[in-house]
Amino acid sequence: MSAITTLNPKAESARQAQALAINISAARGLAEILKTNLGPKGTMKMLVSGAGDIKITKDGNTLLHEMQVQHPTASLIARAATAQDDITGDGTTSIVLLIGELLKQADLYISEGLHPRIVAEGFELAKKESLNVLDKLKIPLKLNPIDRELLLQMARTSLRTKLSRENADLLTDIIVDAVLTLHEDGKPVDLNMIEIMDMMHRTEADSRLVRGIVMDHGGRHPSMPKALKNAYILTCNVSLEYEKPEVNAGFFYKNVEERESLVTSERKFIEDRVQKIIDLKKKVCGDDKTKHFVVINQKGIDPFSLDALAKEGILGLRRAKRRNMERLTLACGGEAMNSLDNLTKDCLGYAEDVYEHVLGEEKFTFVEGCKNPKSVTILLKGSTKYIINQLKDALRDGLRAVVNAIEDVCVIPGAGSFEIAAHQALTQYKEKVKGRARLGVQAFADALLIIPKAVAQNAGHDQQETIVKLQHEYANSKIPVGVDITSGEAMDPKSMGIYDNYRVKKQLIHSSTSIATNLILVDEILRAGLSSLRPGGQ
Amino acid sequence: MITAIIYLVKITITRGRINDFKNQLLEEADYFELLELRKVILRTQQNNQEVPVANLLDSNLKIYIVLKMCFFLLASVSNYLDFRPDQKRRMAMRVPKAPGFASMMKEGAKYMHGLDEAVYRNINACKELCETTSSSFGPNGLNKMVINHIEKLFVTNDAASILREIDVVHPAAKILMLASEMQEKEVGDGTNYVILFASKLLENAEDLLRMGLSQSEIIDGYLLAMSKALEILPKLELDVGIKLTKDNLNEHDALISKILQTAISSKLFGYHEFLGELVTRACLVVSNDGTHSFNVDNVRVCKILGGGLLQSSMVSGMVLKREIDSEVTKVQQAKIAVYSCPIDIQVTETKGTVLLKSADELLSFSKDEETGIESQIKAIHDSGINVIVSGGKIGKLFLYYIYLVLVHFTFSILGEMALHFLNKYQIMAVRLMSKFDLRRVAKTIDAVVLPKLRTPTHEEIGYCDNIYLDEIGDTSIVVFKHQKSTISTIILRGSTEQILDDCERALDDAVNNFKALTKEQALLPGGGAAEIELAQQLTTYAQTCPGIEQYAIKRYAETFDCIPKILAENSGCKSTEILAKLYVGHQDNKNLGFLIGSNQAITKERTTQPIDITCETSDMKLNALYDLYITKKWALLFATKAACTVLSVDEIICAKPAGGPKPKENKGWDNDD
Repeated sequence: MSAITTLNPKAESARQAQALAINISAARGLAEILKTNLGPKGTMKMLVSGAGDIKITKDGNTLLHEMQVQHPTASLIARAATAQDDITGDGTTSIVLLIGELLKQADLYISEGLHPRIVAEGFELAKKESLNVLDKLKIPLKLNPIDRELLLQMARTSLRTKLSRENADLLTDIIVDAVLTLHEDGKPVDLNMIEIMDMMHRTEADSRLVRGIVMDHGGRHPSMPKALKNAYILTCNVSLEYEKPEVNAGFFYKNVEERESLVTSERKFIEDRVQKIIDLKKKVCGDDKTKHFVVINQKGIDPFSLDALAKEGILGLRRAKRRNMERLTLACGGEAMNSLDNLTKDCLGYAEDVYEHVLGEEKFTFVEGCKNPKSVTILLKGSTKYIINQLKDALRDGLRAVVNAIEDVCVIPGAGSFEIAAHQALTQYKEKVKGRARLGVQAFADALLIIPKAVAQNAGHDQQETIVKLQHEYANSKIPVGVDITSGEAMDPKSMGIYDNYRVKKQLIHSSTSIATNLILVDEILRAGLSSLRPGGQ
Repeated sequence: MITAIIYLVKITITRGRINDFKNQLLEEADYFELLELRKVILRTQQNNQEVPVANLLDSNLKIYIVLKMCFFLLASVSNYLDFRPDQKRRMAMRVPKAPGFASMMKEGAKYMHGLDEAVYRNINACKELCETTSSSFGPNGLNKMVINHIEKLFVTNDAASILREIDVVHPAAKILMLASEMQEKEVGDGTNYVILFASKLLENAEDLLRMGLSQSEIIDGYLLAMSKALEILPKLELDVGIKLTKDNLNEHDALISKILQTAISSKLFGYHEFLGELVTRACLVVSNDGTHSFNVDNVRVCKILGGGLLQSSMVSGMVLKREIDSEVTKVQQAKIAVYSCPIDIQVTETKGTVLLKSADELLSFSKDEETGIESQIKAIHDSGINVIVSGGKIGKLFLYYIYLVLVHFTFSILGEMALHFLNKYQIMAVRLMSKFDLRRVAKTIDAVVLPKLRTPTHEEIGYCDNIYLDEIGDTSIVVFKHQKSTISTIILRGSTEQILDDCERALDDAVNNFKALTKEQALLPGGGAAEIELAQQLTTYAQTCPGIEQYAIKRYAETFDCIPKILAENSGCKSTEILAKLYVGHQDNKNLGFLIGSNQAITKERTTQPIDITCETSDMKLNALYDLYITKKWALLFATKAACTVLSVDEIICAKPAGGPKPKENKGWDNDD
């Protein structure tokens, strides 16, 4: 009997060999599930939620989130993968695979009597060495002028592992253009300034980059203009509707005139504000029929005010999202006004095209054609919800990949070439390591190969054969080689334009090593017995 | 328990590297019964011997060795074995016992993977869905009786409604359903086509899979075939002698009526000519409004129970199922003001109280109020208005004055007093119940809705040729008839609610077809003629493809057969014979299709004569049976995409279905007693 059961009869535990076996089998089981997802030829998984909603994905992060993993070890790994996604936005599938494979390799040695501690030591050494290899593989990114081609290839590599080829190629340009519009030298790119708007309409091929903002609501007055060219834009956060005072107020009147005047004065406050906007419109537009005016308000606009605005041909949008207020000023210029007291022309933004698009019940307002926008919208279209979700998840990863590359100022060759190179380097490094720790280094080196192996296997090639070919090619040519998924032969990732993020790989090696080390060092799993509240313990 | 044992055995095997015995041993382990095993283990523990266990299983020496190792291990870890497996099941995260992925998931979750578990099952589900809808395809398609979860009865052959009401749960079938929903949104017609085509594609894919092709190869082939088909499709355009464009739709109403008849005939065969003309007229009224976008919502349908379908008619303007409260039932050349606010004394948003000190003040207050109202109403009247439409409550005093001079429409209940004045001054009054109706009335008469009670300017006043009360059957209707209206209404007659609903759906499809026409005017031959031509050209194309995808392309081409085939089957013809005829005929005439025609259409004069329905192959151009290019294009696109999505999935992970009220089970609703 385990000691814990004497202390708490309801506790559960697993010890030593069994604990290790549980951990290893969980890690490998999870890796087995995700293995088919890796690479451009990976398969899709269909997730059906409790409510019956369908999600079709091969994004590791999404899968781990939605799968509702309950196994303690598996959820530990899933959390590591989520952390990977938070930090780098990519590499979630790889991390799960690598942890699984590290444990598998470690298991071989441990079962032969090697102490887990020594394996861990070897892992640590190997980790340092492979980070050295990673640094040597860096390919610098030219920033001034920015190397758009390289970024395109980077984005394409990331997207093709998540979407079908056509969709990936479509989004590649959109993503790179979006990031480059926002990019300024020396400043970090704020991805929050890229709004992602989805419309259930037509097909994916109609998705595009809008250099401006798309909002998911429209004018609320039937006689407001639906499309404006050459428009000034006032963004404000001022209430244009009557709001009840917070104190309990009431009117007393004794004749009709008094009441009439109260009615007017009650409205006057709001009417004055509307009048200020109208005055500004008259000032900036004058009699010029080609100039128009748009008011985008974060607060409400009541029917009377809408009517007054509509009469002047002003398009008024009420209850805009707060995050859009910031984006709007970045996109069209001007300032977000919190009061209408000192309105000048400088407070206004400008857009060439403002128009409303109606899809069934939903209205969308496009603010397009801004001068030098610093905030853009990616408009995703798709025929069904699951397609849009798939695009959205991939889009986020793609954006992160491009931004990562800019921030790292380098990329590394992809298609498994790093793993092949690291394997080679580690095998040589092993010779220098004294004692049994070298076995750990060997295990680590072998484990790394899972990435090119999985890529090759998913593309329908023999994994061993591919690996041998790649190793041979690398030993001869000394330039990094990756898997060619169409032929299963070795190829130069640089010439094919396949790149990975430096920080993704770095994070991957760091966290997978530490998680795997932690897991093999576990020799007991304990769980306090939770007494059931219901009688009978059921 | 058994899995735990197998697990231990597995460990032993991997440790000992005796992989050869793994499968054999697993098979043996399956023969274990829990009790038996328990006994054996206990005995082994007590006696510390292994022989009886080995005897129990097999005398094979190798297995004996493995088992020996296994039980050695068992003896050392038997403390951890849980012999009461059911007791702690409900707890959240527990120390796992069994290996494999299943134990990692929450309870109730399902995990399916591989061809047999996921792909074939998905395909089968889609096939079943297709079987349900295929019998309602085409003019001779049969109706379905669907009772939905709130016990509403539908009798229809409209695939979109059937699918919506039967609540598809299977994930793969749901994907097809989503595709057809999208078709409904994009074009508004061809929903059944999407379902049929996608599931037939999947059916063919199943054969290919069994032949040994991989899923991704089939998908590649299908997508290739689709892009080729979309390339061929515009070339099949039918030359009807008239070049339709966006702007000349009004001049070719006969042709348009023919086009819309295709859609109607697939739902209400026989009445298609009559209804086609009705819809065409209604649509042309709406499309006259000068703007380029055609809003389906502007063609209204007013269903009135009773009479026959042939008594249906079309009104340019609005028809409201309302009663009139007064004696006057007719106003001609009406000038109308529309208000969205209540027509009442203006009040402050903040609570107001009248503070009166003497009886005189009270008297003068009421008097002031009355004169105020009178002057307001007089001002409105002076601008020439004789009708008010309001979206809010109308005050009693206002009513009195309004009725003196104006015809009045309102939501609110008219007071007794008001009615008295109404009749005294010979003025008509109607109540409007919905703000959407109010908006539509405003659109019909081209008025601006005013948010505040004030005198409208010249531009804000609406005009209407004729406003009158009418009675159809025992239903009173108020008609806003206006020559230049941008809203038209079809008054539909029918004997039961189900028939009326079904007619409405058919009309809806036709109106959507008209909308599609305003976007894209190309026509294709109907009756499966375009499909046969596509099938032929694609087959030829497949032969030029060098790779393995040619099999998939060929199958894609064959899938087109299903359309004329189902049409023929539903008409009771020999489908293979028809197909053969079509294929032969297409050598000379690419417009040859399967025609379901009647020599005489049902008209008002000929309702009693038997209809002679013929089913044969015929030239679609001569018989004027047209399909829209745009419908086919989107249908092919959505169907192929959906089929490919279903094919691309090889693993399904289902979470435990969420709780919540289940739809009431209605057992025995069809029992005789």
